[in-house]
Amino acid sequence: MIELFEVTKRFGEEVAVDGISLRVEKGELCVLVGTSGCGKSTTLRMINRLIEHSDGEIHLNGQPVRTFDEVALRRRIGYVIQSTGLFPHWTVARNIGLVPRLLKWPRGEVRERVEALMALLGLPVAEFADKYPHQLSGGQAQRVGVARALAADPEILLMDEPFGALDPITREALQHELLDLQARLHKTIVFVTHDMDEALRLADRLVVMRQGRIVQQGPPLELLHEPVDDFVASMLGGEERGLKEAALTRVRDRMLPLGPRLLAHERVAAQAPLHQALSLMLWHRVDRLTVVDDDDIPIGELSLRRLVGSKS
Amino acid sequence: MGQGRPVPNVVLIALLLAGVVAWLTLPAVSVAPNRIVPGTPLLAQEALGWGVTLPALVPMLAVVVLGWRPEPARLRLALALVVALLAAMPLWLSAAAAALVEAAQARLGIGAALWLLLFLWLLALIELRARLALPRPLGWALLLPVLLAWWGCLSLWLAPLALYREYQGRSDQFLDAIGQHLALVGAAVGAALVLGVGLALAMRRYAGLRRAGFGVLNFLQTIPSIALFGLLLAPLAWLSARFDWLAALGVSGIGWAPAWLALLGYSLLPMVRNTFVALDEVDPAVIESARGMGMSRRQVFLQVRLPLALPVVLEGIRITTVQAVGLTAVAALIGAGGLGTFVFQGLGQAAMDLVLLGALPIIALALIADALLSALADCLRQGGAT
Repeated sequence: MIELFEVTKRFGEEVAVDGISLRVEKGELCVLVGTSGCGKSTTLRMINRLIEHSDGEIHLNGQPVRTFDEVALRRRIGYVIQSTGLFPHWTVARNIGLVPRLLKWPRGEVRERVEALMALLGLPVAEFADKYPHQLSGGQAQRVGVARALAADPEILLMDEPFGALDPITREALQHELLDLQARLHKTIVFVTHDMDEALRLADRLVVMRQGRIVQQGPPLELLHEPVDDFVASMLGGEERGLKEAALTRVRDRMLPLGPRLLAHERVAAQAPLHQALSLMLWHRVDRLTVVDDDDIPIGELSLRRLVGSKS
Repeated sequence: MGQGRPVPNVVLIALLLAGVVAWLTLPAVSVAPNRIVPGTPLLAQEALGWGVTLPALVPMLAVVVLGWRPEPARLRLALALVVALLAAMPLWLSAAAAALVEAAQARLGIGAALWLLLFLWLLALIELRARLALPRPLGWALLLPVLLAWWGCLSLWLAPLALYREYQGRSDQFLDAIGQHLALVGAAVGAALVLGVGLALAMRRYAGLRRAGFGVLNFLQTIPSIALFGLLLAPLAWLSARFDWLAALGVSGIGWAPAWLALLGYSLLPMVRNTFVALDEVDPAVIESARGMGMSRRQVFLQVRLPLALPVVLEGIRITTVQAVGLTAVAALIGAGGLGTFVFQGLGQAAMDLVLLGALPIIALALIADALLSALADCLRQGGAT
């Protein structure tokens, strides 16, 4: 659990972070989102004390971070940055094993841990262990970055625009992988991004920041429905908020069981987000879709009426 | 690769054709009755006749033909021919010595054509090594038969060679001079390395020192070397007169002390600059993530910043060493010894061969230092290339 109480950071005269309070529960994925220069990265880096806060208090599991030795503190917190920061002169395996080695784990355990993590992130050991970072694609490098951050099994993971430099397809794949990982590992994650789609897709709790302050925080759907002001509304997509919301809802949640009517010709997966179903309807110019499960077996149907959530 | 007709290797062809022209039109040797009198220059055909001169053209032109369609197999053959040509040169010289030198005092000088050929063929060798992507050690191994041929001919038949005569007269001095030269270079570069790294570290910490430090070092670098040696003469002479223990150490206005100090001064700038830039230009994201992962300052420096900076630091050592090898030659003027002694003696006595006896090893030392340190930097760069 991470708690920030009235935390302020000043760089000389300039106030980068202005008295923010935030509570990230254990196992929660909290996304800080905002325009550049809003203080979200600074906030993240104050948690592992790469930047020291000027005022207020930051607690980790109820204990002020200032009371920890900063080096020991950082070894307990995973850290992933946009440019990966992999050491170019070390192999993939050595990069991943960094923190366990700093913590003086026995050699055999480090190797086992590295191999387990590489398997977890879909990096075959035989192929990647001895490669150097410059031999990796952007997506592979960022996977290594995530593996390195997870190496010593930290309770907390800080991620600073980790997928920002990747192409859209790789980025989406890694977002899904992160969600899968999180479903299994239940880390407490603070994730910084300026990409609202990414934020909505990942967040348990969404924190919108502006000029060093938190404008609004809460579950993504709550923010979508009740933005406190025009800034939050426009950050969340303005007029397109309906589509953003549809992206957060699954077809499964709106479908009806198969009725007596003939099956509609066009199909949609039950796991697909709602905006995909809407897109299919628009594309095929139909108002009814057959919902299928992972094995492509029809399990229900979705009408335009149900999709838009009309009560009648 | 190997697709269609390869483009002719213009470099190789030009080098070898220039060699052919030099071989036919420039004097290959000179014969002098004694040490001081300038020798009579002789063309290759005048020295050993057309019967030897024309057949020698065959391998040269063969390389030109091979270079026209540079496929790997043909280039390997060209490489073998160039090595053979280089190895044949001392044999030709031996034959010339046997044919031309009769009197015991007479000397055989190496002429412009042979110097030029040596230079051109070595360039061809470098070009071929690069084209064939041969590893460095193999490149050096190629020089082995050439060196063996020279060594064999020198010890068996080339006694009348002027350069060799000069060497024989001073063989002890020669080894001493190389020793002194290396010692001065080593002491100066070693001290510059320790001081330079220290200074670069201090400059990284204190911005004020950075400006002042680079100012002073840049200024030092602009003083001509002879002037700096001269400038050090007076204060050092005064110091050694004042303090007995300095005099006991051998410090005086001339000799090794001012030479070492001046060399150190010149060596500091490239050393400090490279070390500073190397340490400063390590990717900040890598440093940030190293800190974020929980490495202590010491660990960040020793495990990340320093190893990533090392290739560039080595580059600084290489530049400094090559520069110091050359500057040490000038230090002979103030009695610091070294190979420069022969150069200045030779100039004084108008004996060009003695000048060469000093100059050639200086060039060789600089090249060897350059090659060794480049190879070391390559080793360190492997894998870590960014």
